Amino acid sequence: MSEFVQYLVSGLAVGCSFALLASGLVTIHRVTRVVNFAQGMFAVVAGLTAGSLLSAGLPHGLAEAVAVLTAGAAGLLVGVAAVGRRGTSPQSALIVTLGIGFLAYAVEIVIWGEDPRSFPGLGGAVEIAGAHLQKQYFLVIGAAALAFAALGLFFTRTLLGKALGACASNPYAARAVGIDVTRMGLVAFTLGGVLGGVAGVLVTPLQSLSYNSDVLLITNGFAAAILGGLTRLGPALAGGLALGVAESMVAGYYEASYQSVVALALMLAVMVWRASQHTALQEEASL
Amino acid sequence: MNKPTTQTRSQGGPPTRARRAAGKRSPAPARTPARLAAFGPAARLRRPRVLAVVALCAAALALPQVLPASDVPVLVTLLLSAIVVTGLSMLMGYAGQISLGHAAFYLIGAYTAALLATHGRPTWLGLAAAPLAAAVVAAVIGVPLLRLRGHQLAFATLAMQLILLNVVGQQEWTGGDIGLQGVPRLTVAGYEFSSATSYAYLTLAALALVVIVTRNVVASRPGRGLRALATSEVAAESAGVPVVAYKLAVFSLSAGFAGLAGGIYAFYTGYLAPGSFPVLLSFEFVVMAVIGGLGTVWGALAGAAVITLLLQELNELGTAEGMPGSAPAVLSYAVYGLLLVLVVLYLPRGLVPSATAWWERRRARRRSGGPHDDSPAAGAGAGRGADAGAAAGKGT
Repeated sequence: MSEFVQYLVSGLAVGCSFALLASGLVTIHRVTRVVNFAQGMFAVVAGLTAGSLLSAGLPHGLAEAVAVLTAGAAGLLVGVAAVGRRGTSPQSALIVTLGIGFLAYAVEIVIWGEDPRSFPGLGGAVEIAGAHLQKQYFLVIGAAALAFAALGLFFTRTLLGKALGACASNPYAARAVGIDVTRMGLVAFTLGGVLGGVAGVLVTPLQSLSYNSDVLLITNGFAAAILGGLTRLGPALAGGLALGVAESMVAGYYEASYQSVVALALMLAVMVWRASQHTALQEEASL
Repeated sequence: MNKPTTQTRSQGGPPTRARRAAGKRSPAPARTPARLAAFGPAARLRRPRVLAVVALCAAALALPQVLPASDVPVLVTLLLSAIVVTGLSMLMGYAGQISLGHAAFYLIGAYTAALLATHGRPTWLGLAAAPLAAAVVAAVIGVPLLRLRGHQLAFATLAMQLILLNVVGQQEWTGGDIGLQGVPRLTVAGYEFSSATSYAYLTLAALALVVIVTRNVVASRPGRGLRALATSEVAAESAGVPVVAYKLAVFSLSAGFAGLAGGIYAFYTGYLAPGSFPVLLSFEFVVMAVIGGLGTVWGALAGAAVITLLLQELNELGTAEGMPGSAPAVLSYAVYGLLLVLVVLYLPRGLVPSATAWWERRRARRRSGGPHDDSPAAGAGAGRGADAGAAAGKGT
């Protein structure tokens, strides 16, 4: 029992970071139709920045906030490259974000070197049902819940959030009522960067990150996001949590080295199942 | 290049959509007016083109002899990449499918060859089985995966490679993370391929085979079907193109090419590990294909050559004295990234198609500058100039 609780909570915590990454992907994809391959990079940048700022003597909280803002700025830069130029198709933009990922590798290696880094998060642990649980797990879960609540409010209650939603549902009509679609795309990328950054600062104390951790982060985030068809936040959250728990259970009860295989196989199964639900005609008509 | 002249007309399709897709996603050259125009002077163009091909073949045959011995391994790497990229370029350019996991097929080919050879089977059998194994695996996993499109397929192929790397790294019989050592040299009919030069010729022969197969596929009826389905699967299907079968066939074929290159790689290096086939290698193949120009054989060759040579130069620069230890990685990542972003944004058709378009535009301008020429080519040439001008305007 205590083992189960242990795996469940750690899985939920890791799942929250996947869900945050997925929410960034969804936010960007909804507005711009671009799948942002650099999403994992935001988490890496934020995690490494926070580590450096903390070791430079900044207090907890401030360091993380600055790191998240840095990731937001990175998001804006990626957005400028990917959708700043008119007439870049979503397919091309995917390859552009792949290229930006390479550029980011170069910058990250120059600043932080090639070795994985981590920083201490919330210290201490609590006992629940006999399980020894790090407090950082609960911090991650709480922060992710807050972020999702804020995101939900942002999209439904604020003018900017509604403008983003308008671009998502019909870019042409959005332009007709005076919304600058390109600028909204940049806003979406910045928001995606911030969300990726939040995931990064939360997850780095749990697992150290290096410059090339982004591939696994993006595949997990994508796996979570694809559950909602890359357009809905709720399923992305559910997908992230399910993925995190599944990986944690596989690692705990079976074999740690197979955890990513399970996640990836799950993602493939979901994608193929979703693809069998609608035909090519529907897909092309919705483009 | 790649201009089977009749298909420009045989492809109906919704014109605006076709144009849009042709310009952006798959730069299938035959669909633009520029290509229509080239129809006329094709006969005139043919002779210099044949000359160029002959010259290139001669140069390629001479290179392994002329190059200093230390540069021959670079040539082998370049040619192996070119084999993979030719297939990938066909898959991406003609069938409109992105694969971010092509190094997986390279891996399958390499391990097939190495496992057969280290288990006492003749080495030539290993080389023959490498492309077959990769193609069969692609055909099997392609059945579910190719239902996916665009970015979904990209992530699915990436996931497939990650799974494969993980599994290969765990198995006893693949040597785990340590890999397979002591792969014997390739021996065909008593001749042992032992020097780098001999592998250069072997790879060259394989590349020639791959190029010929690709050209014939592209120019055939299935090739036209592929181009049609890259634009719109629905339109292609309604026109009678067996979409699923063609997609599967081209996926397997390109995987088979990658497997062939992998087989040669196994005998060439004699040592394999999962670490030799990272995800980054898959990305590298995509970078080569995109930079050279999707859907053209020349583009694949140029992309492989440009990137391999560039990486080699950067590596030399990075390992020069006084450079920090991480310099090679930093330099290559930075240049990769910059090249990829700049080419996709400013030369979306890739280096080779952009260069040929520029060359033909120049020819057209020179011709239309002269006395009035009322051959059909001249009229079409003007249209071509306008089209190219529009493209240039878009580029600035």
